[in-house]
Amino acid sequence: MFNPLPALPMALAALLRNRNQAALAVIGVTIGVAALVTSMALGRGAQNALNDQLLAAGANVIVITSGNYRMDRGARPDPEATIGHAAFDAGALPTVVRPRLMLAAYSPGFPVGGNRFGGLLRQVHEEDDPMEMHDHPLAKERLGDMAAGLGSAATLTRDDARVLAEQVKGVKFVVSGVHENARVFVADSPEKRQWFTRLHGTEADLPQVRAGWVISRGRFLSPSDVDQSAQVMVLGRVVADRLFGEGVDPTGKTLTLWNQRFQVIGVVGSKSWAAQPVAGDDQFDAVYVPVTTVHRLLNLGKLNTVTVTTTSVGENAAVAKQIIDLLRERHGISEAEPDDFIVTSMAKQALGKGLPPELARAVGGNLERVEELTVEQLSGSLSRANQTMLVMLGSVAAVSLLVGGIGVTNLLLLSVTQRTREVGLRIALGARQSDIAAQFLLEAVLLSLIGGVLGIAIGVAASGGLESFFHWSATVSPLTALAAIAAALVLGIVAGVYPARRASELRPIEALRHE
Amino acid sequence: MPVVSLQNLKKIYKLGDNDVHALRGVSLDVEAGEFVAIIGPSGSGKSTMMHILGCLDRPTEGKYLLNGVDVSGLSADDLAEIRNRQIGFVFQGFNLLARTSALENVEVPLLYSRPVIPPADRRARAGKALQAIGLGDRTDHHPNQLSGGQQQRVAIARALVNEPTLILADEPTGNLDSATSIEVMRILQELRARRNITIILITHEAEIAAYATRIVAVRDGVIISDTPNEPKSLLDDAPAAPMAAAARAASA
Repeated sequence: MFNPLPALPMALAALLRNRNQAALAVIGVTIGVAALVTSMALGRGAQNALNDQLLAAGANVIVITSGNYRMDRGARPDPEATIGHAAFDAGALPTVVRPRLMLAAYSPGFPVGGNRFGGLLRQVHEEDDPMEMHDHPLAKERLGDMAAGLGSAATLTRDDARVLAEQVKGVKFVVSGVHENARVFVADSPEKRQWFTRLHGTEADLPQVRAGWVISRGRFLSPSDVDQSAQVMVLGRVVADRLFGEGVDPTGKTLTLWNQRFQVIGVVGSKSWAAQPVAGDDQFDAVYVPVTTVHRLLNLGKLNTVTVTTTSVGENAAVAKQIIDLLRERHGISEAEPDDFIVTSMAKQALGKGLPPELARAVGGNLERVEELTVEQLSGSLSRANQTMLVMLGSVAAVSLLVGGIGVTNLLLLSVTQRTREVGLRIALGARQSDIAAQFLLEAVLLSLIGGVLGIAIGVAASGGLESFFHWSATVSPLTALAAIAAALVLGIVAGVYPARRASELRPIEALRHE
Repeated sequence: MPVVSLQNLKKIYKLGDNDVHALRGVSLDVEAGEFVAIIGPSGSGKSTMMHILGCLDRPTEGKYLLNGVDVSGLSADDLAEIRNRQIGFVFQGFNLLARTSALENVEVPLLYSRPVIPPADRRARAGKALQAIGLGDRTDHHPNQLSGGQQQRVAIARALVNEPTLILADEPTGNLDSATSIEVMRILQELRARRNITIILITHEAEIAAYATRIVAVRDGVIISDTPNEPKSLLDDAPAAPMAAAARAASA
């Protein structure tokens, strides 16, 4: 076999002799490989971005809500109907924790979708302003489940959540939730700064469920906060800004809620520039406290929601079915009775966002199938514009690789002519045809590998640039780099074959006489 | 057994519509340790002979036995190996690789030897060959840093590095002045005397041919005379005197 190592310096020296032509050939290959890397990075980026978007939008989230206000219709909930509404509700947050009216189930005729503080609660509290109801509970007035609006329809417990986590396959995180409206005050502030907001009693894993979150200051609730029902609070970005001003770090400050003191331990914000926190939204105009603390202070024992994430979007349907079966069994619901909870998969809702209308209609009209689709299949149908660009970049890559290859061939033919005497000499000294061919092939491969490495560097830089300036997602994987090197290698060999053949077929006598 | 045996060798080139008879039946035996000068004017066919002797070309007719082996039937790769192992070439134009050190130039034949010679061995052998022709202190010099005589000595070292049985020197002094020419001839004489290497020299100068032990005159593709010669010896009377020292003295 030809040993390339001793020939390597020779090949380099030969390339340096024609450095201008070599540079041109390298540039051709570089552009080709860079275009190749960039197009592959964009293609891969689009795929990843879609996956990320789906996860960030909560496509793998299933929300189980206490109660089932449709019960009085005498039918089990039609999940498609539920989801169908939500899917095209522009304002809908991906993780619907909107309060549902639980009492309705037990008071037929009660208006569906009515005020959750109506009816029964009015009899307990005499205040007219429903917003004030929970703000100053005296110890003796602390609400039981019934009075807190959870009612007897508040069917979910932390035990349910625990068993779900343990027994349902395909479940990644399970988070219990109690959701209230609450007024929080800055403690010890003379002007009594306050903000009326959403209160979520939750658990330490919530940030894992909210893929779009970033903990911008401090930390989120810890498992021990939950175990000890600590009086600590994580603020949504909007609440932090309203109470303490933008850019001020509120961690360590004290707030009061229900006349109890809570220490601020962190702030959550949005990771995505597309979903900026706004007043009134459910995630960032909100405060988070341990679910156990809400239970303790309000004397509650049940949950409004249990939020579950699945390991992949495609498993949502199967996981939802397992959850329904398990909860029905745990709640002792007979065949004839409807569920006392609602399971909502967020996949369709998440998918519905940001789709072109005709595609959204297709998704909406084919809901049952959507969850069977894989992310890859979806990306195929969603990235048409992307593909146009990829085809363009791909053609640029192909053309520049071709031009680069011609450059390499041209340079080598020049080199063969210049070094005819040398080739003749080497043959006289005992070089076989294959030795001569290998030497020129090595030069071609060396040339295109240099171009390949430069091309990868430029491709990575270009992908990064596209990402930071245009917010296109581009991902250069090791596989992409490997493919680019392979492409350069093949290009070098293909471009080198003809010159190498020419060199190896030189007749030594004439070659030695060549001037 | 003769080192070289040419038997009724003919070579016909096609040049356009005409056949050119470069060799018209040449027979020649060269024994080991002979120093043969092939002399003749240009167009006499001596270069064609040289190419066939060097396995760079094949005869149209006739046989060429090298160390008893008929090379006319061998494959291209086998011929490459014979050139590599059994024949050392010295050219008129030196044919050194530019921008390449003397040592690396001498290493070139070793690059093509099979089995593969490890780099360290290659360097060692090339260094020894340069030492033997008195250029041990010039190993890192590039051809453009060497005089014509030194360059031809590097070429001789290259021819010697694989320890061939036959050295083919094609007008080795053609590009050299007379003093350096004599120096090159002295080295060739020394190689013959010390190592018993067979040398075939091609030249058109009678003064150069005078250093050989046998003179073969060629004209129009046939041998017209083949006579033994009492060579003009350039060797020191004391054979112990190292060749390298003498070479340094001459090149200084």
